[in-house]
Amino acid sequence: MQRGPEVARTIRRLAHEIVESNGGARDLVLVGLLTRGAPLAKRLAAAIGAFEGESPPVGKLDVGLYRDDVAHRDPPPPVRPSDIPRNLDGTTVVLVDDVLFTGRTIRAAMDAIMDFGRPARVRLAVMVDRGHRELPIRPDFVGRNIPTAASQTVDVRLEEIDGEDAIYLIEGAERHGEH
Amino acid sequence: MSSARLALADGSVFEGRAVGAPGHAGGEVVFNTSMTGYQEMLTDPSYAGQLLTLTYPMIGNYGVDAAVEESGRIQPRGLIVREVAPVSSHPLSTSDLATFLEERGVVAIDGVDTRAITRRIRRHGVMLGVITTESAEDALERVRALPDYDGIDWASQVTTERQYGWGAFAEQNRLRPAVESRANKAVAGLAQDSPRKVLLIDGGVKRNIMRSLTARNCDITVLPIDATAEDVLELTPDGVVWSPGPGDPQVQNAQVEETRKLIGNVPLLGICLGHQVIARALGAGTFKLPFGHRGGNHPVRDERTGAVTITAQNHGYAVDPEGLTASAEVSHVNLNDGTVEGLTMRDEPVMAIQYHSEASPGPLDSMGMFDRFVEMMDRAGNGR
Repeated sequence: MQRGPEVARTIRRLAHEIVESNGGARDLVLVGLLTRGAPLAKRLAAAIGAFEGESPPVGKLDVGLYRDDVAHRDPPPPVRPSDIPRNLDGTTVVLVDDVLFTGRTIRAAMDAIMDFGRPARVRLAVMVDRGHRELPIRPDFVGRNIPTAASQTVDVRLEEIDGEDAIYLIEGAERHGEH
Repeated sequence: MSSARLALADGSVFEGRAVGAPGHAGGEVVFNTSMTGYQEMLTDPSYAGQLLTLTYPMIGNYGVDAAVEESGRIQPRGLIVREVAPVSSHPLSTSDLATFLEERGVVAIDGVDTRAITRRIRRHGVMLGVITTESAEDALERVRALPDYDGIDWASQVTTERQYGWGAFAEQNRLRPAVESRANKAVAGLAQDSPRKVLLIDGGVKRNIMRSLTARNCDITVLPIDATAEDVLELTPDGVVWSPGPGDPQVQNAQVEETRKLIGNVPLLGICLGHQVIARALGAGTFKLPFGHRGGNHPVRDERTGAVTITAQNHGYAVDPEGLTASAEVSHVNLNDGTVEGLTMRDEPVMAIQYHSEASPGPLDSMGMFDRFVEMMDRAGNGR
């Protein structure tokens, strides 16, 4: 659906939108949801740094234990290190993830963020919004809206993890994670 | 019986009864899910600076016995239980839990809903708290005044002040007979008559590590945590054990440097904090777990054999394998959350485990790690 240079362009646009909406890069904290939100947040911060002269701090967040299905998962979700770079009180936190799907991951992320502090605002940036929400959650910054069938899978691949930048829409593939 | 209360950093307050000494105690509130072994847990130095919640609902029914202590004092700042048994009975018991706590000046609370406290910690992560037998009003103020747990070098507060030989204490400090005979049998086949010379770097060691190694014909000298690599190598040991201990491994920078100098020069076993220090010396990172692993039923898989053992654990931080040098590999993994439970080096005699092979309390499934360490020392010694 999308290839290397297009992914980079989308990230640059999202970076501009985030800074515009925040009125600058001040008090901004980008928090990437593990796994693929983390490198995305880093790239967004670098893009913001390139035109604002200052990169906002970047964190990463593991939401596994905050999921509403944590007790039903077998095996249970792995615990990975979260890293929140500063006190979040009074900041604008932008949660960053690759694909927005049911909204349940984002609900868990909001719970997790609240245990780290009390941000003034929490915003949501995603590379792909594929629809099929199960909760009243709406992204503030969207790379691409991709209408999908429930049976399809959206696969965002990133250089840092997968060795390439690309977005794939896969037919009838098994759902490997819920976003 | 007078009242007491527990206040947590999230603002919740639990009312209960005072069962130990009067006063107040603050620290990081953690929970342990073991059903037995309260006296071992209370004397485990890894609980320094913490308030220990026991999830098993009745505690103290077999009294206390000086022979099962893991160190010379009660280590957590305070104890939180559902119910302290009013009557205790055991042939070796010399006192009861409430008296034991009171005599040693430790504040404790019972009659609180330990399940609710545990669920809160599981949900929001470990947090600071205060147990007080004094006025209810200032309990939350006291919580807010507590220093951040992570920034404190707790291990340096529980280490031995000076070097000592364990030999003088070995005779009155033995493993239970059944465990000891198993240990003796395990090493009987290894041809070495003279005791192996083992140095132990003490970041908060539990006596059962010394007992377990003594039963395997090791002569142990305990060094303070600030021992340098030169101090260690000067004593020409057959092997070095880096002990468990409390606190964030990120504050042990000096020890990470010293440990790096030991790797490759002497066989090395790290347990718990020792595992984390060795991991950092090998390039890995560490991070704080949301609510830690504390209990006697944590499944761990040996990546080499695929065997799963049920282990005793007590740690609030875990190793992040990112950055680990290529000459080392993850040898053990926790089946509950996928975190690192052990490391080995491919070509050097270095092994480290996050869990407690010495158990105490807990299952004895992993006692064989001490046999592996002894074999590792003997192999390295023969090669020299």
